[in-house]
Amino acid sequence: MRSDKKILAGNKRLAWVDKYRIFVLFALVFLFMSVFAPRFFNVFNLTSIMKTVAMNACVAIGFTIVMICGQLDLSIGTVITFAGVLGLSLKGSLGYAGSVPVAIAAGALVGLFNGLLVAKAKINSFIVTLGTMTILQGAIYTLTGGNTISLSTPDAFAVSDFLAKPLLPLVTPRILITVALVIGFELFLRRTQAGRNFYLVGGNKNTAWLAGIKTDGYTVIAFVLSGALAAVGGVFFAMESSAATLKMGDQSLMYVISATIIGGTAMSGGKGGVFRTVVAILTLEMLYTGIILFGLGNEVKIFIAGLILAAVVLYEAYAVYKHEKEVGKRPELVKELAVGKPGAADKPA
Amino acid sequence: MMGNLSAKAASAADGRSVGSNRLGGFVNQAGIYGIAFLFIALGAVLQSFGVINNFMSAQNFLNIIDAVALLGIVTVGMAFVTYSGHYADMSVPTTMALAGIVSVEILKYGFVPAVAAALAVGLAIGAINAIVVGRLKANPIIWTLAMNYVTMGVIRFVWVNKQIYPDMKTDDALTLALFDNIFRFRFFDLIGLPVLVLVILMVAGQFLLMRTAYGAQLKLTGSARKAAKFSGINVERVVGIAFILAAFTATIGGLTVTSLSRVGAWYNGAGYDFKAVTAIVIGGMTLAGGRGSIIGVIGGAFVIGLMNNIMTLLGIGTFSQDMIRGAIFIAVVGINAKSLRSLGRDDA
Repeated sequence: MRSDKKILAGNKRLAWVDKYRIFVLFALVFLFMSVFAPRFFNVFNLTSIMKTVAMNACVAIGFTIVMICGQLDLSIGTVITFAGVLGLSLKGSLGYAGSVPVAIAAGALVGLFNGLLVAKAKINSFIVTLGTMTILQGAIYTLTGGNTISLSTPDAFAVSDFLAKPLLPLVTPRILITVALVIGFELFLRRTQAGRNFYLVGGNKNTAWLAGIKTDGYTVIAFVLSGALAAVGGVFFAMESSAATLKMGDQSLMYVISATIIGGTAMSGGKGGVFRTVVAILTLEMLYTGIILFGLGNEVKIFIAGLILAAVVLYEAYAVYKHEKEVGKRPELVKELAVGKPGAADKPA
Repeated sequence: MMGNLSAKAASAADGRSVGSNRLGGFVNQAGIYGIAFLFIALGAVLQSFGVINNFMSAQNFLNIIDAVALLGIVTVGMAFVTYSGHYADMSVPTTMALAGIVSVEILKYGFVPAVAAALAVGLAIGAINAIVVGRLKANPIIWTLAMNYVTMGVIRFVWVNKQIYPDMKTDDALTLALFDNIFRFRFFDLIGLPVLVLVILMVAGQFLLMRTAYGAQLKLTGSARKAAKFSGINVERVVGIAFILAAFTATIGGLTVTSLSRVGAWYNGAGYDFKAVTAIVIGGMTLAGGRGSIIGVIGGAFVIGLMNNIMTLLGIGTFSQDMIRGAIFIAVVGINAKSLRSLGRDDA
């Protein structure tokens, strides 16, 4: 009996760590950087971190929803760039009032294309989005002729100044948009029936279907949201900098995948949350900024970013591997494994 | 033309024929070469109408074959990963880059150590993939993508964002000439060394896949992993070997690319992941695993090479070609998935 309790307590402790690990990590990184990194803890630096996070956080909302559905969207990086390029290059003819909705709609359309192919044609999401990624890459270069698009008209600068100017300490309008989206989608996923259904679809598609949930519809909507939100992130970022480079979305895929998994969204679907992903993005960005502030180069940052992603995927895979090893075995064997004392479970309590 | 291609590729792909139907199997495998022939015919027709020039020339075909050789080498190994039901090895681009840059760095100790070092790092990446995906059963795409970023980080970190050149590392003329000739050596001034390597890899790969116990185990693992496991196959090892083979051919491809460009850099090999997967699916190997052949996959690479050549001669830009390739890729996979579903397999 005693060993039973021990195992239970141990598992609970582990579950607790697993559940709140991202918030613990966030606090640790924040404290460490505030104390040790030069010029980290000041309003200017923290605002610049928030600005960098604003784009990836926006993108990560959609990516997390897709992952909760048990799918993967590799096209987000190119959607960011595509939307940025589209938003700026159409500004001349439509104005921002027209070009921004067009850019976001284009992102949603890419998502719809992905979603329909995944849900209706039943092609693996990784394959579909790999294909879309290549198509979009070609489209971006064809659209721009390989050049950075930058605007230098006074009204473009006015918009850019408005988006970048802090209303309150740490809060610029663009950050505010992102925060609103994060809160909105967090509440939608947690508190509404429709939001909960995404978890059910990802957790067990067949059960969800038998329970009367339109699984295909939810999958398509997840991809549409992912495309639209990636476009929102990209187009506002491009507007704030009045420029869209062809590489603006290149790093995002890696950051967003790492953050989503660190935040506790399961690769197999059905588990996770938007808010946790965004906290993970903040944590990672603080870490990367700290690396630069310590005087280390960009290559160190890329190196460490890769290592973190690999470590996280490895940890997840190992946890699942261990879990699968224990599931389905006779309970007394599980006890032996956990306690590490063969024969301990033989004696009745 | 496009619909024709997809339909043929699909019929080549679903591999309905079992061993008893040798002729049918051969026709299925050879289908992709029929498509290649159609492309050649298309090129000839376009030339006879004067739309494109210089297609039907020996020099042009040599160019096509050279371009196909490089892609084909990388594709052979990756095909084993696809066949095992693990879709693709996304770490191939930076495996190529790392093998290339390491070989350039070690060139100062001579040619043989350089090649050996490239093989060592390439196979090390393969071994890591083998353990993590094969044994720990990590999601193959996310893991190999992560591995791709790690390797890129390693290259950028160690070489501090710099490119390195072979003649910077050694003055020995023989070593430099040997390294240059990995890509440039020609037998009888005609057949390039990469082409010979491709033919050897193709024959060896086809033999391994179709005529050995390992190939049979891989087929069962790719079609039904659980069944394979319960029938006593060491699936961890079988899948792991597939990833090591992918890393091995990626290393050879990386050496060839680096010899071609005469520079070691982190971006060598960029794009080869997608090109290889496209060749694999066009060549009739399904992403669901356990179906297709190496000969078909090389046919896929050949079709891509022909397509690129004709599009370039037509004056279609590189980036528009990307878009067309992406669309064809999705179309072929979609048709494969559909035909597999009608056979009762619900994934692709």
